[in-house]
Amino acid sequence: MRNEKFAWIGKKAVRKEDVRLMSGRGQYFADMQLPGVLHCFIVRSMRAHAKIVSIDRAAAKQSAGVVAVFTGDDIKDHLDPLPHPIVVPNLPGKFPKHWPLAVGKVKFHGEPVAVIVATDRYLAEDAGELVEVVYEDLPYVGSPEVSSRPDATLIHEDLDNNEIFSMSFTGGFTEDSVKANVDEIEAIINSAPVVISRKFKTHRVGVTPLETRGVMAKWDRDDGLTCWATTQRPHIDRLALAEVLNIPTHMVRVIAPRDQGGGFGTKAPFYRESILIPWLAKTLGRPVRWLESREESLMVVGQERDQRHEMTIAADKEGKILGMRARVVADNGDGCMGVYWGFVMPVLGAATLPSGYYLPKCDIQLRSYVTNKPSLSPSRSFGSYPGRFVIERLVDILAKEVGKEPVEIRRINLVSSLPHVTATGCHLDSGDYLKAFNSLVATVDLAAFREKQTALRRQGRYIGLGFGTGVEISGIASDVFVQLENQPGYGSATIRIDARGRVQVLEGDAPQGTSHETTFSQVVAENFGIHIADVVVQTGDTANTPFGSGSLGARGGSYTVSAVHNACRTLRDKMARIFIFDRKLDLHVGDIQFEDGFVFPALDPKNRIPFAELADRIVMKPVNMPPGEEAGLEATSYFEAAKPMFYFGAHACMVEVFPKTGEFEITRYVTCEDAGTVINPLVVEGQIQGGVVQGLSNAMFEEFLYDEHGQQLTTTLEAYKLAIAPDVPHVEVTHSFTPCPHTPLGSRGIGEGIPGPVPGALTNALCDALAPFDIEINELPVRSDKIWRMLREKGADIGKPEKGSKQPELQNA
Amino acid sequence: MSDGTAKIKTTVNGRQVEAVVPVRMLLVDFLRDHLQLTGTHVGCTFEGVCGACTVHLDGEAVKSCMLLAAQVCGREVLTVEGLARDDELHPLQKAFQDAHALQCGYCTPGILMNMSDFLKRNPEPSENEIRLALVGNICRCTGYSHIVEAVQNAAGTMKVAAGRSL
Repeated sequence: MRNEKFAWIGKKAVRKEDVRLMSGRGQYFADMQLPGVLHCFIVRSMRAHAKIVSIDRAAAKQSAGVVAVFTGDDIKDHLDPLPHPIVVPNLPGKFPKHWPLAVGKVKFHGEPVAVIVATDRYLAEDAGELVEVVYEDLPYVGSPEVSSRPDATLIHEDLDNNEIFSMSFTGGFTEDSVKANVDEIEAIINSAPVVISRKFKTHRVGVTPLETRGVMAKWDRDDGLTCWATTQRPHIDRLALAEVLNIPTHMVRVIAPRDQGGGFGTKAPFYRESILIPWLAKTLGRPVRWLESREESLMVVGQERDQRHEMTIAADKEGKILGMRARVVADNGDGCMGVYWGFVMPVLGAATLPSGYYLPKCDIQLRSYVTNKPSLSPSRSFGSYPGRFVIERLVDILAKEVGKEPVEIRRINLVSSLPHVTATGCHLDSGDYLKAFNSLVATVDLAAFREKQTALRRQGRYIGLGFGTGVEISGIASDVFVQLENQPGYGSATIRIDARGRVQVLEGDAPQGTSHETTFSQVVAENFGIHIADVVVQTGDTANTPFGSGSLGARGGSYTVSAVHNACRTLRDKMARIFIFDRKLDLHVGDIQFEDGFVFPALDPKNRIPFAELADRIVMKPVNMPPGEEAGLEATSYFEAAKPMFYFGAHACMVEVFPKTGEFEITRYVTCEDAGTVINPLVVEGQIQGGVVQGLSNAMFEEFLYDEHGQQLTTTLEAYKLAIAPDVPHVEVTHSFTPCPHTPLGSRGIGEGIPGPVPGALTNALCDALAPFDIEINELPVRSDKIWRMLREKGADIGKPEKGSKQPELQNA
Repeated sequence: MSDGTAKIKTTVNGRQVEAVVPVRMLLVDFLRDHLQLTGTHVGCTFEGVCGACTVHLDGEAVKSCMLLAAQVCGREVLTVEGLARDDELHPLQKAFQDAHALQCGYCTPGILMNMSDFLKRNPEPSENEIRLALVGNICRCTGYSHIVEAVQNAAGTMKVAAGRSL
């Protein structure tokens, strides 16, 4: 199909979602109510690690409007704790037992301790303030360094130590094979002409969406449980709820609201609240609703990337990398989070650590330690943000060591022949990484930049250019996803054509601002020769959609859209067959065209029938049908890719640094991505611009902070700063195009991984600007005070910071 | 009133509204829960930081989580539901759609209300001025560039329209 002339695919169609969202007619979770619904307030732990001595709720129970108050002790005999198989990955980790409310002790500041159920949200919160919890503090275990000590306080009594996950990603699964791998890489390092060793640290940060979480549930003894929830994966939630609450699956329905205010991974886990609210509805026999506050959200979700990397790379004198050793340690948090358990993100990060580079020999090991913080949870660029930063910094450090342009080092080390299997077993399928990278280098005009940089340095001005690259999964094939998370990777969609020729798309995943309504409609309209206004896309209701593992990992643009296309093809062929039969033509289905609302033989356009009329004939007038042909127009496709798919992106960042203050300005930011066939360029550009700014916001502003007792200090958006418009540059988006051979349209899902290359590009640009001072930035976040301090430590002769010393803006350096 | 409630009489989107509400009820909750005007959103939960709850009060952009419902007595409120005239989109809404200036749309109503006030005061803003005028709004999806572009385009359209009506 990809060689045909397209009517809709590739078109900058304005979005079908927009008018309702801009007019206040979106249907987000918070906009939904049920008659007689009760409201919840969750009392959360104010301590990071403590025994619960007592909980006095007498006053709360007496408070106006209160219907019930529950604590962990009330629920533990009536509700199975996690882990349950449906939310446990197929990985050699540990899965701490936990209930939705703390039982016996609390393990992080913000852990749910009690829940108030009341007739009104304000009254529930009033009562929550009357609950008195007496704690007996336990030692705070606030870092993997403390957690991994032999004498460390045990956080989970059901685990034998605080190490929740440990694995070699390159040495196999036996002690002997791991040792052989270690020895082999050691030998390479010992004999290599160039060896670089560095430590890196990435901070606790993530992509918290503007809409917080929420769950609403009602129980009906005949129909069972209906649960509305902010979720990226309603079908997984349904199976998990059935299992945990011990309800047969056919009596559980989960509905993701039509509109969700961003997800970015944070709405993918099976959280404590995902269980608690439905359990309350079933127990009380009344509808119950919980809407998360921003404070709760910042206490619990969107915390990822908290890792340390000890890295060594060995290279030849030309800068060709011969081997890499990585010791990765993750600050796991408490690990009580269904599906992800804190370590699944670091696992994927370790598995994709080589990124798009050809690193034949690696020794990569990961250890993750539980700490008294909330569990690491998914955030866009799932698991890979720290690793991309590390590898891109190492490439630049190597370039400096061998005296070459960082661009040259990338050219000789990027994978140049695809498909390629990395040392960690990732199958990089298709594309042309060098073409995309070279295209980016040409766009930014490296030679002209170096000239300008030299001239400005003579004037005491410091500009820099840095690159970052990355591969990222475009959805995950079942053969990987089943192994990783016990879930299928296929994309699924049902297409129904009604008697008036209008088309309904049913999708089991739940988009969150990801433009599925528009892009899927474009694919449907392309197939049937109709207008996107005649297509409706309905998502996220487990009662009427095919099973899907969720809207995540850039699956939409590769897997789900392919299922939409294949289901359309099935119906199109059927319509063509019946058209040929009715008109007694001697033609094949491929000879029939669907265009501008009509169906006709390609060589006889006048012999046409309106699309709607043909649909009516098949749905409403199923007489004189071709032998063996059924009535009706409905098809479901489960698309599985022949091979796993990855896409590649490269970023370039230009900065000017003001050494007197350490402040810096991003003067230009350019990307080059290979999404294969682009279905809607507007949507792809939006994904890239937003992803880059999230990456910058993570690298420059956001950071979850804890004091020495484990109190979270960043529970407001005043303290946890997100980038606002004046903070960030315009992002120039360019494309390199190689169609994906594994999808019917040649499309490749992008979006998930966009933030990944950002911290490398940014820090490499800063280090390039400050090359005369020999500054290395190997920790995130990067802020002006840190740069200023580094310059001081280097004894840079840059004078004292003066008020107003910031120099004039340098546009498009 | 001594029972902790207040009687308010106000105009919302051109419609007279009378209600008795708890004194402590925030304007945003009044709009959403009492009047079912759910286009006004809550993002930061009443810190006044995210701007998703921005509405017009007597023509001026304000954050409705920073006001009590009781404070709008005798005043005029315009929410995003009242921005379009009949079925004709506001030039900003049209420009936002054309430039793909929204993704999840959660912040969008607040940004539209802030920018529609801003363009009245600054009909020909530069990119920099638009970015500075957006300091009170957080958008997590778009990276802001498309929003800035849409506001600039809308300013152009509105200028042409104003020229025609002279």
